[in-house]
Amino acid sequence: MSEYFIPVLFLIIFIFAIIKRVKPYDAFTVGAKSAVPFAVSIFPYLVSIFVLTELFEISGISSAVSNFLSPVFRVMGIPKELTKLVLIKPFSGNGSLALLTEIFTKYGVDSYLSRCACVIYGSSETVFYIAAVYFAGAKTKKLTAPIIISLIASFCSCVFACFICKII
Amino acid sequence: MNVIFGLVLTVSTALLIWHDPSAMLSSMLAGGEKALSLTLKMVVIYAVWMGVFELLEKTGLAKVFAKTLKPVNKFLFGPLPDKANDYMSLNISANILGMSGATTPMGIKSIAELEKHTGTEYAIAMFFVINATSVQLIPSSVMALRTTMGASTPADIILPTVLATAVSTIVGVLLVKIFIKKDGYAKKSSDEKGSKKAKNKLEIPFLRKGKTFLGKAHNGGN
Repeated sequence: MSEYFIPVLFLIIFIFAIIKRVKPYDAFTVGAKSAVPFAVSIFPYLVSIFVLTELFEISGISSAVSNFLSPVFRVMGIPKELTKLVLIKPFSGNGSLALLTEIFTKYGVDSYLSRCACVIYGSSETVFYIAAVYFAGAKTKKLTAPIIISLIASFCSCVFACFICKII
Repeated sequence: MNVIFGLVLTVSTALLIWHDPSAMLSSMLAGGEKALSLTLKMVVIYAVWMGVFELLEKTGLAKVFAKTLKPVNKFLFGPLPDKANDYMSLNISANILGMSGATTPMGIKSIAELEKHTGTEYAIAMFFVINATSVQLIPSSVMALRTTMGASTPADIILPTVLATAVSTIVGVLLVKIFIKKDGYAKKSSDEKGSKKAKNKLEIPFLRKGKTFLGKAHNGGN
């Protein structure tokens, strides 16, 4: 069902373009052109975020922080096996996907831990990555408050995820 | 961001010198490589979607989305510049429909458009938080992974995921409403300005709170 969605939507757009006598080639090229400055603007920010993530992981800070925080998370209902996932998710989509796979193989796909990890993975976003990309070209550097709010909101959904997976 | 970045860089470098000095530079370069491959991927997605969106705009269909979502936008962001409203409507539609390729280009466009006007800081913050706590209806990538790993009922995580995303978005929206000062973009017409003032008056307790919170956070963080 969902595989039809985008093609059908595009078809409607293309048909409308013909009806309205829009020059499709010219218009499409204008849009695509904006990808070049976009690439130049996001790359430096992505490099910073990814270097940060790599160092965070390889230096052992990530494990240290997750060891330190897991009792706190435990109190809020997040199992200690999932602490790392909760911490990595805001930084890296690939990193958290790798962790998710690891949890699947370690504890079984249908276990509470795995289902819970899925919900955590699916319900939160890579906040820092989004911040880097969305604000790459922006003048506003007032990002701290929105980032903190997003992180708190994501954390709430993680706590909720662990709770709801026990019931459903 | 500068504080976090500086702290992580310093501490991790110090730790690596302690236990594995050779891994330091190579892991930084590995990070850079990942960033490059992601940038390439993003540019292709961006180019294709922006091409289609240009058509969407030229045909006037974008206005249809914008009109449908206008009440939602008004509730979330307050009054918006027209063009920003169009892009933001497309971004939010794409978010809800789970078209992840489309959300980012439209999001960037929206922010660039909002930035052209003064008094849009609140809208920018709200818009970012909504995107960062995304409303996703079908977690398709997770379900695919579960299927390949042999889960008995791969779809049983849909409902909890939808509920959990809703929780994060609602919490995010509420926090923005509470802590970020509503500056409000004012359209030129005096009519709108009047109603804007009345609105701001109602939120004075929040306004004060927001001001100090923002002030502190910004001085410290940037």
